[in-house]
Amino acid sequence: MSSTAFVSMNSSVVAAGEGFVPPGIGEFNFDPYFSDGTLPWLTKPLVASVVAAIMVMAFFILGSRKRALVPGRFQFATESVYTFIRNGVARDVIGHGFEKYVPYLVTAFAFIAVNNLFGIIPGIQFPTLARFGFPLTLAICSWLIYLAIGIRRAGFFGYFKSVMFPPGLPVFIYPLLAPIELIQVLLIRPFSLALRLTANMFAGHILLLLFTLGGTYMLFNESILLKVLAPFALASAVGLTSFEAFIEVLQAYIFTLLSALYIAEAMSEEH
Amino acid sequence: MESTITLAGPLVYALAAVGPGIGIGLIFAAYVSGVARQPEANNILRPIAFLGFALVEILALIGLVFAFL
Amino acid sequence: MLLNSMANAAVLASGESISSLVPKVEELIVGLVGFLVLLWILKKFAYPQFEATFQERTAAIEGGIEKAEKAQEEAAAALAQYQAQLADARGEASTIRSEAQAERARIVDEARSEATAAAEQVTSRAAAQMEADRLAAKAELSAEVGRIALDLASRVVGEALSDDARARATVDRFINDLESSTQEGTR
Repeated sequence: MSSTAFVSMNSSVVAAGEGFVPPGIGEFNFDPYFSDGTLPWLTKPLVASVVAAIMVMAFFILGSRKRALVPGRFQFATESVYTFIRNGVARDVIGHGFEKYVPYLVTAFAFIAVNNLFGIIPGIQFPTLARFGFPLTLAICSWLIYLAIGIRRAGFFGYFKSVMFPPGLPVFIYPLLAPIELIQVLLIRPFSLALRLTANMFAGHILLLLFTLGGTYMLFNESILLKVLAPFALASAVGLTSFEAFIEVLQAYIFTLLSALYIAEAMSEEH
Repeated sequence: MESTITLAGPLVYALAAVGPGIGIGLIFAAYVSGVARQPEANNILRPIAFLGFALVEILALIGLVFAFL
Repeated sequence: MLLNSMANAAVLASGESISSLVPKVEELIVGLVGFLVLLWILKKFAYPQFEATFQERTAAIEGGIEKAEKAQEEAAAALAQYQAQLADARGEASTIRSEAQAERARIVDEARSEATAAAEQVTSRAAAQMEADRLAAKAELSAEVGRIALDLASRVVGEALSDDARARATVDRFINDLESSTQEGTR
């Protein structure tokens, strides 16, 4: 342990000194725009989330305004996003009576995707959803929706009874299963929804920062070896950026898919 | 003392990533072979595969969060 | 000193990490309000348009299919009509052709019979003419030959054969001999 402690101590000494400071959790805390104390809550993620909402709004409203039977390029783009969630997620997962939940799912998907893609868009370069508050609100929305569906379908006690005591299992398993199911529906699902988004964006952002800042640091270092190796780090950053773009859209898809699954489960009669 | 903490974080994440790595591999292996055997079942299998993927992935992500705590 | 600063940094870092994971109230509020407003506006203005467009498109496609089916039916009807007309025309053409052939055969037959008749007429007329000529020549010749023979005989005998009956019998016998010999000669 002592040797590893020494190594890590060395690295922290370097970090504390003038050397390379690896990106840490501090990258996710932003100072307010006005340093004199007015509007102390106005930070970059807040502005970015509002910008994302406006972008999504503009995208869909502009795309749906023309209503051409043979769509142009832009209309086709918006329609493909809409139909992708409508048919690929809502209809396939929820099935009968899915039309009611299409707006929520499409909006959530678009909002999450745009917020996530802010992580690689130059000029913003911060995935808003890496701040835990934003995905938590979205997860709470999904949570409220599927709880409301379940309670409206079977009544308050009926719903929780169907959640805690799914039929067709041996009796002795219920004492074990019931609390787990209850905790899962009430706590684990919303928090895992939110945490999945946050942690993915967090990890991706740190990864990109590490390669970009590290590559830059290596490039401007006096050591020849680091200078030679720097382009590889920067090239990895470029490659990882496209990988992040994929992950960011995939996470939006997964959030939507899981929400749809939870809604479908709350709608179905048997658990 | 503090230095062990700074090293513990990456180790926590490294350990937490092993199981989910194997699990995600198994899930997508099953998904791919299922689709290869029955291509028309793709639409049914995809949500299931991603559901499993998400449920397994969250373990690794919880490890990541603990690494920074 | 160094340890102290590191400890400070670690405390700072852990404090930061916790504050980063605990959601800020303003983030919750802005996220929720922003998302709900977005959802409301899009649900009100954008998504119904999409659904309406899809329905219109479906209707248009179905209408298009109907139209295409109608056009196909029309085309099939026109084709049948054309084929019927074509068959009619073919039948007509063949009847015309057969009529023409009959006509031709008739004309040819007529011409041939006419020609045959004309030829026969010419032949028979020629034969009659020849017969008449032959008879006339024969009559003339027989008279001439009788006179010449009498002349000759009277000259040869040197006496006038006054007895007409005898003379005629002699001449007739002579001519008959002559005829039979000429007939044998022509044979």
